[in-house]
Amino acid sequence: MSTQTRSHKATKVLERLTKKVNRQIAGTMLACVHCGQCTDSCHYVQTNPGDETFIPAWKADRVRKLFKRHMDWTGRVIPWWVKASSVYTDEELEELRDIVFGKCTNCRRCSINCPMGVDFASMNRMARGLLVSVGIMPEGVSVVSKDQWEIGNQMGVLKEDYLDTLEWMEEELQEELEDPTLKIPVDKEDCEIVYTINPREAKYDPRSISDAAKIFHVAGESWTMPSEGWDMTNFGLFSGDDDLGGAVAKRVYEAVERLNGKTLVMSECGHGYRSTRCEGPNWSQTDLSFKAESSVDTMLRYIKERRIKVDKSKNDFSVTFHDSCNNARSCGLFEEPRELLRLVVADFREMYPNRAENYCCTGGGGAMSMSEYTPQRLKSAKVKADQLIATGADKVVTSCHNCVDGLNDCIKHYKVGMEVTQLVNLVADALIIEPAKTTVVVEEVPAAASAPVVEEKAAAAARPLTGRKILVIDDEPDVCTFLSTVLEDNGAQVLTAADGDTGLALARSEKPDLVTLDLNMPGKDGGQVYEAMRADDELKELNVVIVSGKPELRGLIYDKDVRKPEGYLDKPVSEETLLTSVRKILEVGEDNVN
Amino acid sequence: MSEALQFAQTTLQEVALVFMAVVYMLRLRWIFKRFPAAKERQGSTGNPDTNPRKGFLYSWAIIGMPWVMESSRTKPIMYGMFVIFHIGVVVAIAESFIIPYAPGFLAANPWLGTFIQVSCTAACLVGVLRFIRRVSDKGMRAISSPDDYFSLLLLTVWFAFAALAGTNDASGGEGFLLTYFWMTAFFLVYVPFSKISHYLYYPITRYYFGKSMGNRGTYPIVKSVPGYVKTAGE
Ligand code: SF4
Ligand code: SF4
Repeated sequence: MSTQTRSHKATKVLERLTKKVNRQIAGTMLACVHCGQCTDSCHYVQTNPGDETFIPAWKADRVRKLFKRHMDWTGRVIPWWVKASSVYTDEELEELRDIVFGKCTNCRRCSINCPMGVDFASMNRMARGLLVSVGIMPEGVSVVSKDQWEIGNQMGVLKEDYLDTLEWMEEELQEELEDPTLKIPVDKEDCEIVYTINPREAKYDPRSISDAAKIFHVAGESWTMPSEGWDMTNFGLFSGDDDLGGAVAKRVYEAVERLNGKTLVMSECGHGYRSTRCEGPNWSQTDLSFKAESSVDTMLRYIKERRIKVDKSKNDFSVTFHDSCNNARSCGLFEEPRELLRLVVADFREMYPNRAENYCCTGGGGAMSMSEYTPQRLKSAKVKADQLIATGADKVVTSCHNCVDGLNDCIKHYKVGMEVTQLVNLVADALIIEPAKTTVVVEEVPAAASAPVVEEKAAAAARPLTGRKILVIDDEPDVCTFLSTVLEDNGAQVLTAADGDTGLALARSEKPDLVTLDLNMPGKDGGQVYEAMRADDELKELNVVIVSGKPELRGLIYDKDVRKPEGYLDKPVSEETLLTSVRKILEVGEDNVN
Repeated sequence: MSEALQFAQTTLQEVALVFMAVVYMLRLRWIFKRFPAAKERQGSTGNPDTNPRKGFLYSWAIIGMPWVMESSRTKPIMYGMFVIFHIGVVVAIAESFIIPYAPGFLAANPWLGTFIQVSCTAACLVGVLRFIRRVSDKGMRAISSPDDYFSLLLLTVWFAFAALAGTNDASGGEGFLLTYFWMTAFFLVYVPFSKISHYLYYPITRYYFGKSMGNRGTYPIVKSVPGYVKTAGE
């Protein structure tokens, strides 16, 4: 062995490597024959021809060389013969970080294409875990892991915000279905179903919660959502940290046990499903005492059991389906979403390749949180964009929130012109709601008073942002006009600023209720403006919604150690999305206007 | 037959074989004792018609089903080369037993000698093509180690001598036979320390991967079928 001195972190990584390798990983370390058969299964290789550093076997060898040097016979005696070598410095560990986090989404496409059964993705995950254990990881991974350890969910959604969102969705749904008795039950014991979600739903996509609630309601299900342990996503899968993985999975299991639920249902999230349903029991050393299923299974069952009725003609557009790697390749969830899709849409077109052979959305493996690798991620997304374009579909459906973000980035970057949606939305839209399923309570109002009250309520509902002051900071005149018009039409007083400095000055002088902030602006960019706001005592509590068309700039916000924005919207933003988000943040329900 | 050839065919082979067997035993012991298998606790998911048992059986058999994996389905020439190469390996190994222990059978069945020669020559040619690919392709060079080059060269040259020795005809001299048997012995000693021992790991890696994929309903793989493809003008 070399007498070269080794850094503390390198020493720890090697110590942990020797403890961490199990028989499955040892097989993967030993069995590669460098045949190159897996090379072009990887989307990174396909989009970076000629760059051998993206080849799965090359990437695997960066980890394998350590195993060979320290644990295998030939590598210990004649390392150069089998390209075995060690690691000595933190810089070398950082280089390894950029490979295991930046050049692989752990999608497992190479694994299923290896004739030898080499599961590189699992080995890569282990390598991530080793680096994380010594604090070497992308900034985003560190921030998200911290949130999941400390706050209990990976988006730092506070319990009160989560409960507020449920309450708000409950009110919306009561209004939509004209049923004031409709509930989104929280912590109800002895239910058939305990429903857990991705925190992205509470933060950016509450409609998926209300859609699920609508389906449960129409199906007459006995269900509840837990107030603790409601996040079924698990960053441990991405960071390779089995301790985090086990702790997070256990929180969810304990919630089901505490509430004495019969079935744990996970909303549509690929890595959440894989972590909670498949890997969680291994990480947490727990044998589940209840049934666990994806909401896709639940919705399909409702239709088959005729507990809900759907009309596919309500979804009269063409859709294709993207298989999430975690759902499909790693958990075999192939046919259920397709069966469900065929029941709720009129025109379904397969993407090719599909099922276990589908390509990653390219935002997998936690890549969405690692902004430093965004350019190479988006470059690799060309493979996905080509797949999408070939279908000619209007919308792409996926059963994964992470894929929704990955696909949205891909679609925007390559101007694919497709919308991304999930099965829960399509099922909710296709629902046939019979009057008997809803109870309409007619409030008795004294005849004389009723007309003005109703008129007043109607006017308020039509302009829900009345009395609110909103500052729009965006350098694109078209966007500025669109955002101001929508907000003004809904009653808000709108101020606009075309650059960061003016925006900051206006925020200080006008004290708006909410700011929409573009990221890519001349002069002070959105990240700097945001940081200045959070550092300013007067402005730090401001509600901020980032509105950006450049996903690669997310790091300007999310990599900073400051409170996260209240909302994040991708451009082009629709009127409905903008209003839903603004109303949610300002806690303005349609019958709850100041 | 000279004493040298007699020694090379029998004693040398037996010693080399025993050495290989001992090293392999130690190797297997190392794998099974040093690395405990991770237990999979999760309940089954996906296709209800499959299970861990089906999964690992399918996984073991996958090498004989070129239509299953995209990597073999889309590269039929590579798969054909793989088959020829490995048939060559089996034949050349069998030859090292047939010549010393059943020479009469070989003499009585001239087709067998021809078969050995044809299959080993084909495997040798494939070896040459594989070597050219490994040297000329930038990606292959990037993932190759000295052991990869040497093992491939060793096998390719060994195939050549296995073909030349295939009919066990020493009338033109014992050179080919002697070289073939000495190479076989070296091969047996070298193999446990090289990539060539991948066949020892194949059942292990494929067992665990297949078992897990069977439990999760991914194996047997449902072949991806081309769906709707947008046509020009659409
Ligand atoms: S991982 Fe498998 S397919 Fe890829 S080079 Fe190694 S043995 Fe070949
Ligand atoms: S797991 Fe996916 S991203 Fe990683 S090397 Fe394999 S194919 Fe590429």
